[in-house]
Amino acid sequence: MEAVKRALDKISVERIKLELLGNAYNSSSTVLGRLDPRTLLIWYLFFAIVPWFMHNRTILLGMFILMAVCTVLARASTFIIFILCLGLITQVGWMFLLSLFFGGGGESVLPMLTLTLKLSVISLASITVFSSLDPERLSDGLSALGVPDAFAFSLSYGYRILPTLLEEFHQILLSFRLRGLRPQKNGMLYWRTAAYYLRIIVLVFYPLMLNTAKRSRTTVEALETRGYNYAVNNPQVKKLKLSYLSLKPRDWMFAGVTALYLIALFTLGTAFPELIY
Amino acid sequence: MANNILELRGVSFTYPGAETPVLQDVSLSLTEGDFVAVIGGNGSGKSTLCKTFNGLIPHYYTGEFAGEVILHGKSTEGKTVSQLSRHIGYVYQDFENQLVRPTVLDDACFTPLNYGLADYRQRGERALELTGLTGKRHDFIWQLSGGQKHLLALAGALAMDPDILVIDEPISQLDPQHARHIYDILRSLNERLGKTIVVIEHHTEFIAEYCRSVVLMDGGRLRWQRPVHEALSAVAELLPLGIYPPDVTRAAWMLRPGAPAGTLYPLSCEEAEGSFARRGATETAQRIERAGVHLTELRTERREEHETGLREDHQGGHVAEHGVKGAGEQAVGHGSKGAGEQAAERRVLRNPNHSTAAAAAGEQEPVVHMDKAGLAYRTIHKTLQPVLSEVSLTLNAGERVALVGNNGAGKSSLMKLIAGIAQPTAGTVTVKGITVNGQPPERLAGTAAYVFQNPEDMFIDDSVRGEVSYYLKARHREDRAETVERMLAAFRLEELAERDARLLSGGQQRRVSLAIGAAMAPAVMLLDEPTANLDISTKQEMIGVLHTLRSHVETVVIATHDMALVAEWATRVIVMHEGRIIADGSKEEVFADALLLRRAGLTETQLMKLSRSLGLPQICGSLEEFTSQVSWQEDVKLEHKEEGVALSGSR
Repeated sequence: MEAVKRALDKISVERIKLELLGNAYNSSSTVLGRLDPRTLLIWYLFFAIVPWFMHNRTILLGMFILMAVCTVLARASTFIIFILCLGLITQVGWMFLLSLFFGGGGESVLPMLTLTLKLSVISLASITVFSSLDPERLSDGLSALGVPDAFAFSLSYGYRILPTLLEEFHQILLSFRLRGLRPQKNGMLYWRTAAYYLRIIVLVFYPLMLNTAKRSRTTVEALETRGYNYAVNNPQVKKLKLSYLSLKPRDWMFAGVTALYLIALFTLGTAFPELIY
Repeated sequence: MANNILELRGVSFTYPGAETPVLQDVSLSLTEGDFVAVIGGNGSGKSTLCKTFNGLIPHYYTGEFAGEVILHGKSTEGKTVSQLSRHIGYVYQDFENQLVRPTVLDDACFTPLNYGLADYRQRGERALELTGLTGKRHDFIWQLSGGQKHLLALAGALAMDPDILVIDEPISQLDPQHARHIYDILRSLNERLGKTIVVIEHHTEFIAEYCRSVVLMDGGRLRWQRPVHEALSAVAELLPLGIYPPDVTRAAWMLRPGAPAGTLYPLSCEEAEGSFARRGATETAQRIERAGVHLTELRTERREEHETGLREDHQGGHVAEHGVKGAGEQAVGHGSKGAGEQAAERRVLRNPNHSTAAAAAGEQEPVVHMDKAGLAYRTIHKTLQPVLSEVSLTLNAGERVALVGNNGAGKSSLMKLIAGIAQPTAGTVTVKGITVNGQPPERLAGTAAYVFQNPEDMFIDDSVRGEVSYYLKARHREDRAETVERMLAAFRLEELAERDARLLSGGQQRRVSLAIGAAMAPAVMLLDEPTANLDISTKQEMIGVLHTLRSHVETVVIATHDMALVAEWATRVIVMHEGRIIADGSKEEVFADALLLRRAGLTETQLMKLSRSLGLPQICGSLEEFTSQVSWQEDVKLEHKEEGVALSGSR
């Protein structure tokens, strides 16, 4: 329990804020981060949809290898990868336990492995793309691909307001604690303390929402004075804003390499569909 | 000569569903290149007035609108907010909410980009240059300080190169140094680039120094629009509206009962030079002032008087002997710069605990004891950033402690250590015998209460009554209903008891936050900037509320930049600088040391400056104290009056 306590001490709101935002906005330094957002989004669209319809395990494995390489190139944070692995392991673990319960055996592992492969390909593709696109470029990329401006703007504004919300959450939580009463005894397995914290964490959302509502009054008014409505769906402004986007040789190269790899993979996959199991 | 850039003709406005109009038949004209302050009590329609300029009223807030707004000689009827906003920049009071982009440069470019201007980037860069943020252009908004965010909001408005800039309470959340910085920028925009600037402002000292004309709003009507000198000299008219002209002006007004209306009074210490004289010592003071160089004599004289003064009226448990020593040190310190610095160093080394009553009395248990406490934060680069180092401090019952120092000096951090919100990374903190280190904040709840700078951060319930009773309810106190009623009465909140605290005015919110703290009946109450964001009349009221607080808690600690509050309220002043305590003593001691104040980035109030230059026995905390010790000099005044007229005439 002491270890848990120490681990919890290290997770401060400030820390989460810095990690999260550092991760979200610090992407243009990688190879993939320098690609045009449109290239990445279209690339992602392919790898997020196609694996669902694939049953060929050789092809899935090939895709997995490609995704793994890309994830490394994108320098995704180890924290996120850890969460992904945790998710996959618990998911498959539970299903395996369930299958044992219903009289299954070791043979039920293989089909689950196929599902896991699919999920991993899709998840790794997401991680690759979203660690390579900061919210701004993501929003611009979407806008360039024809997504309504209001949506694209909300996306980037959402990120902008995130630290403010986190800070406020922290602040209100503190107010609850400063006036609240923690259980005198921790209870078995700290359940009293845990219940106390869970309760106030839920309660925090109520003032948080009211405060946000109050704050947005100024924001909406300010957007008006800052010409936002003038710009929305004004093609001239959109063109100006997105003029920095351009497909460079490296985009074509990236698309080309992926295509070549896929052609080779599909050829190999059709020839040896059961290369691994 | 100067053109009218904006004109309001007979403008009235009623919010939908409201009974009475917020603006009634307002006619006003702004000349190009003017620097205007809009003043008025709460709810007098100041913000509403400014929102008619860029069409937010009546386009964004629809309601009953009558009259005409004329911009650049053309009626604005039928023009949208977006069209008008090309000419008028608006900076809100809660400016943080008008920053909508993640990085500094992005935000500065946002408006011109929205208008589809091809040179939006250059415009943004230029606006950042004007506000001095160029070095921060790739920073994220959340990395900026409050003052920098304000500058960025200003830059966002400047990027459109508007003719008129409207700034709603530019300095309410800033310490005096940053406030001055903002106003210096506004002045250079006004003087160098010829921008017309409109500020909604409570701080009359800033109005006196920077603005050219004043618009007084009262109950939705424009009472008058006058040149600044005439405007602020109308003391008798302004006081009932809750507007407090500068101290100098009020002192002059108080000393000249029966002066005809329209008399001009000095607005600043410079203007007042020679107008005041020490009572009973007129000769000396005059001689000194005229010569202006006889500082040594003044100093010697002052030291003697300071000593006697302290002996006679030292208050609240400070050992007189020490005070005398302190005063002596300062007097020597003023002799030359080098010696002054030495004196300042000595203050650092001096053990602050010596000067407290408890040390003399010996027995009483201190309320707070800090022993070489330190605090450091981990930064994103995983390095430790120290905010407090080796702070040793003892606070006793009955003390009214003011923690002063500029932003980032560590005032809030020190209080957070006492409240158990932050854990010391070095040393120990003891509150009422409880060692704070390692305790969760809940354990200290009834012992040390921390009242946040922003009252809204404390609101966790949906009614004022709920807020005040939360702590008692959590502890199932039997007498809670009674206690809550008592608190509501003490802080005059009975009528507001069922309202949501978030929707109250700034002053009311502040009272709620203090009632929340007082209901916990803590031994020590820690208030972070209790007078920030308040208009001056609410601030005056707050001082009364702080005295109410004394009957509920043992020790009150206030972190503040507000020197007037310190002067009027505190019995002990602790000066912080870069995470250390650099001085600790009675306010007389601390205020007497101009060098120390400057080092800590504190600005003297006008009363402090005047007391010093007149060589009064001690630095005066209140106008009453000051006016009882000085008299008005008729002959000098006359010259000044003429000068004043000439001055305002030329404007």
